[in-house]
Amino acid sequence: MRFILRRLGFYLLAAWAALTLNFFLPRLMPGDPAAALFARFQGQLSPEALKALRETFGLTEQPLIGQYFTYLAHVLKGDFGISVAYFPAPVSEVIGSGLVWTIFLAGTAVVISFVIGTLLGVAAAWWRRGWLDNFLPSAFIFLGAFPYFWLAMVALYVLGFTLGWFPLGHAYGDDLTPGLSAAFVGDVVRHAVLPIGTIVLVTLGGWLLSMRNTMIAVLGSDYVNLARAKGLSPTRVALRYAARNALLPSVTGFGMALGFVLGGALLTEIVFSYPGQGYLLVQAVRNQDYPLMQGIFLVITLAVLGANLLVDFIYLWLDPRTRERR
Amino acid sequence: MAKPAETRATGISVWLKAIRRDRKANVGAVIITVFVVIAIIGPWLAGSPDELVGMPLQPPSTEHWLGTTGQGQDVLAQLVAGSRISLAIGFAVGLTVVLVGAIVGVTAGYFGGWVDSVLSLLFNVFLVIPGLPLAIVIAAYLPTGPFTLGFVLVVTGWAWNARVLRAQTLSQRRRDFVAAAVVAGESNFRIITREILPTMTSLMVAQVIGSAVYAIGAQVGLEFLGLGDVSSVTWGTNLYWAQNDAALLTGAWWTFAPTGLCVALVGFGLTMLNSGFDEITNPRLQLERIWRMFLGQRRIKPARSTPVVSHD
Amino acid sequence: MILGARTRAMALLALLLPALIGPACVRDVPYAPEGVLVVSQEQQASWVRNFNPLTTATAARWPTLAGVYEPLYVFNSVKSEFVPWLAVAHEWRENNRVLRMTTRDGVLWSDGQPFSAHDVAFTFNLIKRHRALDGGNVWGFLEDVRAMDDRTVDFRFQRVFIPGLDEVVAARIVPRHVWSEIEDPVAFPNENPVATGPFTEVRVFRNQVYELGRNPNYWQEGLPKVEAIRFPALPGNDRANLALVFDEVDWAGNFVPAIDRVYVDRDPTYHHYWFPLTGSSIFLYANTRRAPFDDVRVRKALSMAIDRDLLVEVAIYRYSRPCDATGLSDAYAAWHSPEIAASGDWVDYDIARANNLLDEAGFLRGPDGIRRLADGSPWSYEILTVSGWSDWVRACQVIARGFRDVGIDASVRTYDFSAWFQRVQEGRFDLSLGWSFEGPTPYIFYRWLMSSETVKPEGTPSVGNWHRFGSASADEALAAFEAEPDPGRQKLLGEELQRTFVEEAPAIPLYPNPSWAEYNTRRFEGFPSAENPYADPSPNKFGRGEVLLVLTNIAPR
Repeated sequence: MRFILRRLGFYLLAAWAALTLNFFLPRLMPGDPAAALFARFQGQLSPEALKALRETFGLTEQPLIGQYFTYLAHVLKGDFGISVAYFPAPVSEVIGSGLVWTIFLAGTAVVISFVIGTLLGVAAAWWRRGWLDNFLPSAFIFLGAFPYFWLAMVALYVLGFTLGWFPLGHAYGDDLTPGLSAAFVGDVVRHAVLPIGTIVLVTLGGWLLSMRNTMIAVLGSDYVNLARAKGLSPTRVALRYAARNALLPSVTGFGMALGFVLGGALLTEIVFSYPGQGYLLVQAVRNQDYPLMQGIFLVITLAVLGANLLVDFIYLWLDPRTRERR
Repeated sequence: MAKPAETRATGISVWLKAIRRDRKANVGAVIITVFVVIAIIGPWLAGSPDELVGMPLQPPSTEHWLGTTGQGQDVLAQLVAGSRISLAIGFAVGLTVVLVGAIVGVTAGYFGGWVDSVLSLLFNVFLVIPGLPLAIVIAAYLPTGPFTLGFVLVVTGWAWNARVLRAQTLSQRRRDFVAAAVVAGESNFRIITREILPTMTSLMVAQVIGSAVYAIGAQVGLEFLGLGDVSSVTWGTNLYWAQNDAALLTGAWWTFAPTGLCVALVGFGLTMLNSGFDEITNPRLQLERIWRMFLGQRRIKPARSTPVVSHD
Repeated sequence: MILGARTRAMALLALLLPALIGPACVRDVPYAPEGVLVVSQEQQASWVRNFNPLTTATAARWPTLAGVYEPLYVFNSVKSEFVPWLAVAHEWRENNRVLRMTTRDGVLWSDGQPFSAHDVAFTFNLIKRHRALDGGNVWGFLEDVRAMDDRTVDFRFQRVFIPGLDEVVAARIVPRHVWSEIEDPVAFPNENPVATGPFTEVRVFRNQVYELGRNPNYWQEGLPKVEAIRFPALPGNDRANLALVFDEVDWAGNFVPAIDRVYVDRDPTYHHYWFPLTGSSIFLYANTRRAPFDDVRVRKALSMAIDRDLLVEVAIYRYSRPCDATGLSDAYAAWHSPEIAASGDWVDYDIARANNLLDEAGFLRGPDGIRRLADGSPWSYEILTVSGWSDWVRACQVIARGFRDVGIDASVRTYDFSAWFQRVQEGRFDLSLGWSFEGPTPYIFYRWLMSSETVKPEGTPSVGNWHRFGSASADEALAAFEAEPDPGRQKLLGEELQRTFVEEAPAIPLYPNPSWAEYNTRRFEGFPSAENPYADPSPNKFGRGEVLLVLTNIAPR
């Protein structure tokens, strides 16, 4: 119980830190949003429009501390303010369903990568010095060294562009209506193969190596030897004895991996114009859309914190030793 | 991404020996050396990256080995010139990140108590806040340039090293030679710098290398988004310009592929270099190696399954 | 084996799955059903539902400003003429202090209510009450707007200001019966627009795509021929170009590098483009408040050091041509005087002449080859530009090279947009690239290039005239222009302005910006083209309603 409370307390603190960081960062930088918007229409808008723009945004004169507490109060109510670039839409509306797609992309990619990577790691450790262990880790390390977006663009070019096997972007075909129909779900899967595939390829190596190394250590333990001596089937020994315990360190890394992948997913979304947070954040930054930027950053951070909390609970369930701690 | 593995404290000489011995590390070392050499002397040989030397978008030919960019600059020259800044920033950030991590982590591990609690909280928070979004947000507002990039990368990358070094410090602190030094009345500062840090040098070297991999990759990502200084020549800005000139649409793969490959090769080489470290510090792997050598001397081929050896 | 054969087979299958699904998932083209035109103009990651034509925050979806809502007159920049639209005639009265507009008869709003002059008067008075909506700053010169009857609106001006007509006729008209109920028109998203334009029915609106259907009560009989327009969300130029190349988009206003190779060659029968040079002009601005740029000889010499042919090739793939000495783009073809342009000899690339002129002006080179000011300080200058804008950065690089040949230690300095914008507005720069301000006549163009009225001291932000140049003869011509309603005499005044510009070289013209338009004739026809230049082809030209001319002309094949 105390463990849970401590973790919860930690995450609340982290959330507060993220909020504060979020707030002060853009305000310490030069520039203002009206000017950035004006540039998009070189020579087409009248010069007087700039003044009108400033008025529209109501760039306030309140002192910084006052703005900060107002901001905190609003966030707790779920009000992230009004977007500057998409005025007058509230930030929560702009972010809206985009978050769902980002989480879908990143979450699925992490899970798939974790499962495949861990299984391969088990296999590599079981057959040390076999072809699996000699070839795969290095191959995946090499793949993982490529920048996310580079691999994504190459995949888009070769598989989407040249061969025409996969759609060039978006989460689903424009003619379909979102819903739980088989056609829609199938279309979503089809559009997700390339983006998720590239993320999986890049992150697989990490899980593989980590699982492999831990497995190797675990395989030398006494209880594993006993299990094999008892004549239990190799599959059983590998999976239910060795892997299950070797899994623990990987699980702790899961939450952090989610954060990492969410970041990388931004780049992938940009390449595949997936309707998630990625390009939205970059655009918000370019437009100096403070409220939108803050909103997206916050939402992603909170999602990661939530995932970490969840992982902590899973770890608690998996490893009985932690329940007895202190 | 497991929790910091149980590693043995080792000095740097051990690490160097391991590098020489392990085949994977050898490969890594060769790759990195090649790139460093290219970065240092290459620009004098390859010509100017900014000069408009030919028709735009020419495929590789004998005149321009990697073809020309969308403006007519030589791709090879840009690749070579870009390696300098990219590698320099990569290593600089790697070093800084470990330095910062060491200061925070060792202090936390050594002093314990509330110092430890506060510092641990600090780096745990940084660990949990997603890196790339934070990097984008900060980088977008500071003036473009290598220092901004470096700053952003350090801010988003130091926490992991702090955590690892703290764990290591904690385990070292309990050792006898530290207790002896305390009894002898050595100041905290001397204990840290003279007794504890030297045992972690090889770990820190490995961390510098690992952080450099992260730094180079993240740097390229940020520059690709246009958040670096686009008028400078780095691997990331090369990719940015290639995309701006619709590299894929025009089919000009040579403006895009070689740079990406180089980034991957450097990352791969650095990681391979570090795998040598893995082998020596994971006691299990080391014992295995010894066992295999033992068998080899007796002309016995090791079987497929893992040998039964006892733990430390 | 150790792990069961079944388990291994399953693992292998899992790895190979994508490769198996792959060939079965072939892309379907075309995307949209017949009669639905797919357009790419805005590049957004996600659509937000806003069709408010008055808010200057440009948050409204395209084509709210010209396609959903309509102005009084549409300006055709290719033919340089106004086309009566919601208004049919105008008349200057009371010594040009009152502008009387006659509105069109028989126009209905999309909900069936009749349109009248009262809607026009209401719109202007709404803007007066909420100044944040006044993008064209019409209330800077209007005093009073009232509807005299159902078809007549009188605009009373504060003073005689003929160019005010251009801004008045560009305003979009909103229905009084809807907007009089709205409390905050600035924040009103207008999700279900009631308008007079050809496309007013929102058929679909999702964050990835939205579609507008035709107005059932449109005042032009039988139009539009297109049933609906669809807008997929395409974030970024690269992605938008990909969609264009793969026939997912019928009409676009993108910047496409190497367009012949990238777009046309893929399908020469159907893939077309036309880039008329009717955008604004790109200038190199030298801060004329600082030495040596206050000397006209220096400015002209610098202009001669720029290889504009190379610049146009490198920066924008030769989509444009070098500007002549008047600085005018083809949007002003009806005003442009070729003789005056020819008399400006300072836009030809001539390093020798440039060097001579600089020597003549008394700025000699120092021992290191760099020229010196009178006080001995070297000519070391940065050319400012925006870091994201690759075409400008490349242009600056070419300019810097040319300047080095005439003894200037020139370098390119990039800033991110707002930092750059702040600098140029405050005049804290020596050299910078920049755009010009546009209008139906050269009035606005030259006003912001050389009117003393627009000059602000260094340090005070100024929306335009960053180079801070004022010319007495230009002031005279501009003042005369403001009071001159006769088109013939206006043209003469336009030539006066060109002559002044050529003589005094307030800024260095580089190239006219093309108007971007790509179109696919596989499913639709009727786009403006070089062979049929009935209007500007670009969806980006919505500022003065020009897009309406195209939207009402496109038809399914």
